[in-house]
Amino acid sequence: MVGYYNTLREKVQNDRGTALVLFGLAILLLDLIFKLITGETRSQIVATYLWDGLVIGLAIGLAGVGLSLTYSILKFANFAHGDMITAGGFSGWVAVFAVMGVGRFDMKNLLLVGAGNPINVTELGISVSTTPIAILFGLVVAIIGTVLLTLLIDRFVFRPMRHHNDGIALLIASIGVSLALRYGLAFIFKTQNRGLTAASLTASYSVPVGTGSVQIDLGEITLVLVAVVLMVCVHMFLQYSTLGKAMRAMADNRDLALITGIPTEKVVRATWIIGGALTGAAGFLITLERGTISFQFGWILLLLIFAAVIIGGIGSVYGAIAGGIVIGFTSTVSLIWIPADLANVAVFSVMVLVLLYKPEGLFKGVTTA
Amino acid sequence: MALLNVKNLIAGYGDLRILEKVNIVVEEGEYVAIVGPNGAGKSTVMKSIFGLTKYIDGKIMYEGSDISESPTEEIIKLGISYVPQNENVFPNLTVRENLELGGYIMKNGREERIQELFDQFPILQAKQNDKTSTLSGGQQQMVAMARALVLNPKLLMLDEPSAGLAPDLVEENFEYVDQIRESGTAILMVEQNAKEALRRCDRGYVLVQGKDRFADTGKALLNDEHVRKEFLGG
Ligand SMILES: Nc1ncnc2c1ncn2[C@@H]1O[C@H](COP(=O)(O)OP(=O)(O)OP(=O)(O)O)[C@@H](O)[C@H]1O
Ligand SMILES: [Mg+2]
Repeated sequence: MVGYYNTLREKVQNDRGTALVLFGLAILLLDLIFKLITGETRSQIVATYLWDGLVIGLAIGLAGVGLSLTYSILKFANFAHGDMITAGGFSGWVAVFAVMGVGRFDMKNLLLVGAGNPINVTELGISVSTTPIAILFGLVVAIIGTVLLTLLIDRFVFRPMRHHNDGIALLIASIGVSLALRYGLAFIFKTQNRGLTAASLTASYSVPVGTGSVQIDLGEITLVLVAVVLMVCVHMFLQYSTLGKAMRAMADNRDLALITGIPTEKVVRATWIIGGALTGAAGFLITLERGTISFQFGWILLLLIFAAVIIGGIGSVYGAIAGGIVIGFTSTVSLIWIPADLANVAVFSVMVLVLLYKPEGLFKGVTTA
Repeated sequence: MALLNVKNLIAGYGDLRILEKVNIVVEEGEYVAIVGPNGAGKSTVMKSIFGLTKYIDGKIMYEGSDISESPTEEIIKLGISYVPQNENVFPNLTVRENLELGGYIMKNGREERIQELFDQFPILQAKQNDKTSTLSGGQQQMVAMARALVLNPKLLMLDEPSAGLAPDLVEENFEYVDQIRESGTAILMVEQNAKEALRRCDRGYVLVQGKDRFADTGKALLNDEHVRKEFLGG
């Protein structure tokens, strides 16, 4: 009886929370419609926010899928994930710079992505529009490079600790890896922020909206398309391949997976490979879209990635994507009401709201991995 | 030569010794039950055979070869399957996925084997695309057994398959075990439902404080005055 009463009370409370949130959203929507009618906000601004929100959301979502995957299968929050994103970005750009600048620039400086003396990116002439093959090459190298790096880190740091089965110890080790990676990258590539692509060469399209238009450039389109394709691939892989099913089984019950005859070490390696590939792709695509890179961009992004993963339900791959998109939209659409400096406040308020009313996240239990 | 021959096995967890010279024999196709009080080490016997505890001393022979210190993966390949006492299905996977993973190491014939099991447990076929956590306790137990049977093991170890089931389902569950045994699979079963288990099995062991105190045919144990008084509630 008591148990029944408690679940009932919980339900009502949760529903009240959901109702409150929906009510709040409804008011904001009405206000937005009002603003649009009165002309206080123009529709192309809203459209721009939505597009930007989608781009940011998919970038964070893609970066979050890898984190969620390793969390659900290896059972620890990997704080080195952000710096793995950075490493992925750099490895891709080293390759792109090298192939684009060979013969014209000093090779050593190219391999350091202009750490020695800044490279004139307009002269180097990289852009998705004019050098798509080089960009594709960079993406592939970023993926391979990050996969190798994650396997190396797993082999020498996480695997020796795995049999202890201690999530906290692994988490602390990952903070150590994070620091080592970040300052290793800073040592090699130096600390200054630098440009990568020639903005003037990147094709940009105006999509007419209302009385104005939304600017969409090819870098953003590339990020959106590749992110969606990768996410669909991950979904298909987890849902239909035997190895994907084994990964979900391990996320469910690791001991039973072992008893069932699933080669758990092999599955762990596969998890790192897929997680690493997504991480490398995210690092490269995000820097491609921004057109700049610095040694700590992934680390700075990590907070938002964790927020996305928490909003979606930590351990859920689909939750990471949904959480990323919620964050993307919140960070841009909120600008209709609040100054840009407060966008992150809005993002984390959303996270706190989710934690209050749906502590398990939006997707926990709904999905399988 | 016995299918499984456990000789003077000493095993435990870390520094903790739980089994103190356990002896258990299972012949080919035989149905053997282990009964005994809570905490006697019944589950530990099964885990030890499956390579999941710390081996200290003694011998575990399977088809004449020593598997005392073989890793679990090897033991599965030799034809032993194990259904643990708790959490013995993947709750977020579908019934079919549970069985597919049961046959993870099979090179071919997995689909055919799953179909055979569906014929044996028709309810599982009907529910094959349902998430396993949505099934009833009895049905989940069926999934757990079917998962372990995909590899067509020579020896199936069941740890308290009827625990937590409603009384009418307990009977049904015992019948399924009989059915599995009739297909030629040897069974080593731990049961809380001691009387029923001893009535149905070929031979039984009474395990007390990490030792096999009594061993005989099921019927003989049921009729043994000491065993009745001490372990079967009169
Ligand atoms: N993983 C473990 N680590 C340490 N000790 C354990 C572990 N598992 C079991 N034990 C201890 O080993 C002893 C035997 O446990 P076991 O589970 O084998 O008993 P059992 O006969 O199966 O009991 P039950 O009827 O309750 O299932 C108990 O004292 C238990 O506390
Ligand atoms: Mg037990």
